Amino acid sequence: MEIAWSLVLFTALTGCGGWLFAGVAIDEFAKKTSKANFTAGIVALVLMIVGGVASVTHLAHPENMLAALNHPTSGIFIEAVLVGIASAFIIVYLVAYNRNETVRRVCAVAGAVVGVALSFMAGHSYLMDAVYTWNTMLLPLAYLGTAAASGLSAYALVAAIRHNETTPADLKIAFILLAVGGVAAALTSLLYLTGVMDAADLMLVAVGAVAVGGIVPLACGIAGLKAANSALVLSVVATACALIGAICLRCAMWMAYVPLENFFGIAL
Amino acid sequence: MRNAIVVDLDRCIGCFGCEISCKMENNVALGEYWNKVIIEGPHGTFPDVEEYWLPTMCQQCENSPCTHVCPTGASYRNEDGVVLIDKSVCIGCKYCMMACPYGVRNWNKEQNVVEKCTLCQHLTSQGKEPACVHNCPGEARFYGDLDDPNSDPSRLIAESAPEDVHHLKNVGNNPSTAYILSSRFGTWRNGD
Repeated sequence: MEIAWSLVLFTALTGCGGWLFAGVAIDEFAKKTSKANFTAGIVALVLMIVGGVASVTHLAHPENMLAALNHPTSGIFIEAVLVGIASAFIIVYLVAYNRNETVRRVCAVAGAVVGVALSFMAGHSYLMDAVYTWNTMLLPLAYLGTAAASGLSAYALVAAIRHNETTPADLKIAFILLAVGGVAAALTSLLYLTGVMDAADLMLVAVGAVAVGGIVPLACGIAGLKAANSALVLSVVATACALIGAICLRCAMWMAYVPLENFFGIAL
Repeated sequence: MRNAIVVDLDRCIGCFGCEISCKMENNVALGEYWNKVIIEGPHGTFPDVEEYWLPTMCQQCENSPCTHVCPTGASYRNEDGVVLIDKSVCIGCKYCMMACPYGVRNWNKEQNVVEKCTLCQHLTSQGKEPACVHNCPGEARFYGDLDDPNSDPSRLIAESAPEDVHHLKNVGNNPSTAYILSSRFGTWRNGD
């Protein structure tokens, strides 16, 4: 099956945005990298919008998209609604940033919850009895794990940029979260891919998802705790690798497509 | 009401007439299908070989995955229980094609929409038979309401030995279409 790049980018970018905003929500209470939060909110919103636009590009007739409002049980509908709600919470968070701390915190938590849920539901939409290699809960968990690595790496990157004049200790939590995201990506990707790794041509993307997308961010997170002077470089590397890993995992899913039957032999 | 087609594979001669009449009746483009005959076999070692022809099309699933996943309701079930596609609201996401357990939905390259067997609604709504049923020279295809014990397909199923009545692999979608194949003609290899 051909790789649906529109959907790969949609799920990778919105997942990254959701988890980036989760980093914001955590710091709303940890109060260690507060300077990064407004910028991180803007980046998360941009990721949501760009990801949403990317998803539309695979539709042959996007002009009919409003008809989706008539059918709320579809995975596509749920994803679209979650993108909309997460974006709305992020916008309210940004508007309330210097005005009302309570509203800001509530929106940060709510937006993070919806954003994280989106990263899971984006993979959950592919659970269908017709496709053996997709019909496992390990798939949405891998979507969630790889999004966690990319989003939390991106938060560490924004924090490293915005906090270059503060003490390295302030970045500690951001790099701990980055490392946790790396572990999540490596473990969930490995678990999913182990079950579908029959095809040898999946080896490259599997290595990309597990090693590049999980282990490298984990190593960067650990290194960042010890060598805070290299925080910027480490977070750049972690973010790039985590995004590559998230894309590899999603490509592997499309490449591993094995339908129950394909009597008409149509290549999707 | 459960309108569907039942195919008596014991009578199918593998002429591909159903496939061709479907294409002509519904103006299905070259390389595209609403109905396709699969050659199942040959299996075995000479002289013990067997083969049968399996005409495939929308199985009119009772629990149809295509209608569940369609984001716009373009894939829907009409008042007669027939799964159809309203091409005017199809967004071309192909989600239904992924969800179909049998890969019997077609991508219309000219209109950029999904389409499939309609059980020839334009004919059956006037009391006529679907083109594939009408044109089958072996009289192997039967159309009607499976909930009506007096319909042609219901009578065929009732007259057949239970072990000769088959369905494609069922993963919870409960396909309505049935295939009749007795062991003297071949061993069923396509599911339940």
